[in-house]
Amino acid sequence: MASADGGAYSYSLTVFSPSGKLVQIEHALAAVSQGTTSLGIKASNGIVIATEKKSPSILVDDSMLEKVAVVCPNIGIVYSGMGPDFRVLITKARKSAQAYWKMYGEYPPTRVLTQEVANVMQQATQSGGVRPYGVSLLVAGWDNHRGPTLYQVDPSGSFWAWKASAIGKNMVNAKTFLEKRYNDDISLEDAIHTALLTLKEGFEGQMTEKTIEIGVVTVPTPAELEAGHSGAATGRPKPTFRKLTEEEIRDYLAL
Amino acid sequence: MSIMEYNGGSVIAMVGKDCVAIASDLRLGNQALGISSNFQKIFPVTDRIYLGLPGLATDVTTLRELFRYRVNMYTIKEERDIEPETFAHLVSSTLYERRFGPFFIEPVMAGMSKTPSGGYKPFIAATDLIGCLNFAKDFVVAGTASSKLYGVAEGLWEPDLEPEDLFETISQTMLNAVDRDAYSGWGVIVHVMTKDKVITRTLKGRMD
Amino acid sequence: MPDMVSLDRAGPQQRQFNPYSDNGGTILAIAGADFSVIAGDTRQSEGYNIQTRYAPKVFKLTDKAVLAVNGFAADGNMFVKRVRQRLEWYRHAHAKDMPLRAIARLIQTMLYGRRFFPYYVYNILGGIEEDGSGAVYSFDPVGSYERESCRAAGAAQSLVQPFLDNQIYFKNQTAAPGTTHPKHLPLQEVLSLVIDSFTSATERHIEASVGDGLEMYVVLARGSQLQGLENVPNVQEMTTTSDGERIFIIRRELKKD
Repeated sequence: MASADGGAYSYSLTVFSPSGKLVQIEHALAAVSQGTTSLGIKASNGIVIATEKKSPSILVDDSMLEKVAVVCPNIGIVYSGMGPDFRVLITKARKSAQAYWKMYGEYPPTRVLTQEVANVMQQATQSGGVRPYGVSLLVAGWDNHRGPTLYQVDPSGSFWAWKASAIGKNMVNAKTFLEKRYNDDISLEDAIHTALLTLKEGFEGQMTEKTIEIGVVTVPTPAELEAGHSGAATGRPKPTFRKLTEEEIRDYLAL
Repeated sequence: MSIMEYNGGSVIAMVGKDCVAIASDLRLGNQALGISSNFQKIFPVTDRIYLGLPGLATDVTTLRELFRYRVNMYTIKEERDIEPETFAHLVSSTLYERRFGPFFIEPVMAGMSKTPSGGYKPFIAATDLIGCLNFAKDFVVAGTASSKLYGVAEGLWEPDLEPEDLFETISQTMLNAVDRDAYSGWGVIVHVMTKDKVITRTLKGRMD
Repeated sequence: MPDMVSLDRAGPQQRQFNPYSDNGGTILAIAGADFSVIAGDTRQSEGYNIQTRYAPKVFKLTDKAVLAVNGFAADGNMFVKRVRQRLEWYRHAHAKDMPLRAIARLIQTMLYGRRFFPYYVYNILGGIEEDGSGAVYSFDPVGSYERESCRAAGAAQSLVQPFLDNQIYFKNQTAAPGTTHPKHLPLQEVLSLVIDSFTSATERHIEASVGDGLEMYVVLARGSQLQGLENVPNVQEMTTTSDGERIFIIRRELKKD
């Protein structure tokens, strides 16, 4: 029965193999590890998430490619794996964040949003007529309750909080690299540089502001918190997640 | 016959210095006929939020259970207590879900909310029966005696009252307002909340 | 005959004229031991429309009687006119002003006289009795009346009356052991309660029915002191005789929104 292609168990998503595996999920993970590398590092005063952005051809207008996505003002996500699946998940995540805002008048904490996305991904492993999402996600966000947090979500729907993690093609090497470089009181600036150095390991081609994307979570100051707290009715609190512009990335690369 | 006056009842909440107070009458009526003099309309939501639900008595019970369900789900999901501001929005959205077949309740909330610096600050809010929020800085009122409560509160309330003075102010406001309202009265219950405790007192006014 | 057909279809028609209107506003009177304060705002409105910001609702009848009229302004003005006419006839017949309690009874008779087409007005009569005490009489539109020591009527009655119950009658307040609540308050305190009541009502009353200006009449009993009245801003004496009761008017601004 055991065979290289997964045998009779590989087609039905909802059937366990005798060894206790759902092979479609394993295949989804394989799809992820073919995707370009992404990573996230939690610093003492924020989080950085970064990814390699590879165009299949120089003829593609790479301004169209977006791999780091803003979900709501306090949360951003980066992925490795299949682009179209990511877009579907991002749309669902954004809708979920807006639904939460409609209900509670504030954006969801990172953990709640992560849980929501993980749920969507889990359901794809149990429903009929669908396949698992071929992506792993790194969710970075800031909230009142837990402060800055970084989560990884896998195609199975399982998720964990990380201090630093990497997903995609070069994840094993990148993680080893991060393990060596990481310490608990690294600053956000240092973390951004560490992220770039990690990406550089095993980067294919030239690393420029066009070929990488970076998102950062910043922790609001007490003064900003005080203003944002009362700003519920008056104005919007300052976003805590944002993507770095090409200019900013160029400056970091130059250093 | 207005459905908001079918069972009667009134609630008021006031802000003080590092404290809040919320009070209601205890009457349950069937139009002019008094049924109960111990009908609670104010319920604790968390350790730091009280919710008053004046209006149609059947909806008092229904909404009380609905909010208990929603707040419990929130607490489990988020692994934390809901904050007063967030709860106010939850109340608003819950009521607006029934925009075209509303619950006949005008909720009033009082609580102490966490500040980013780790302290607590008083919070009150009220909504209409379809959830339009009113975040007042002084006092909010609702129920069959609302216009009377407005009149007395406007005359008696002043800023930065200490807990004991706030208790006196809200009690006098409630007692004198419900004495002029046929649908409210039959006793008053008052909760005064500070950052570390809640003092609850039941008052007997004119019981007629 | 097409005309006849259309006429048949028209069905019965009804037309109606409503002789009454509500012109908003609030009046209030408080009696002291030897004085009486009668006050009213000066806005006249119909629904959300302000007709004028100055239309008095409080009128001096004699040197010891002031009448506040609230409800349908046209009826109110006509009613005051007729009361004044009756008081003048009384003066011609008896060579003196009608006593306050007699005016109260006269007002009842006049109101009840229109039992089946009433003056759509709530009256509050304030002044000094023959025994020198301050008095307030309040009426319903058809003449039920009683003597009280305070009364509010009109659009903001529901806001003001419970406040007065608390502050004038000391309702729901227990006096300190061995003491009792005063039966009457001093003039200064009464005036500040009146001002508080009107500013509160103006602040909170929904609809455009209370505000603009405040007129407070003060009637002092024969021979009583001014009790600080001389220091009140915008006070004006309106007394016509020299040895009887004295009447003053105090005008104040209220919020105009």
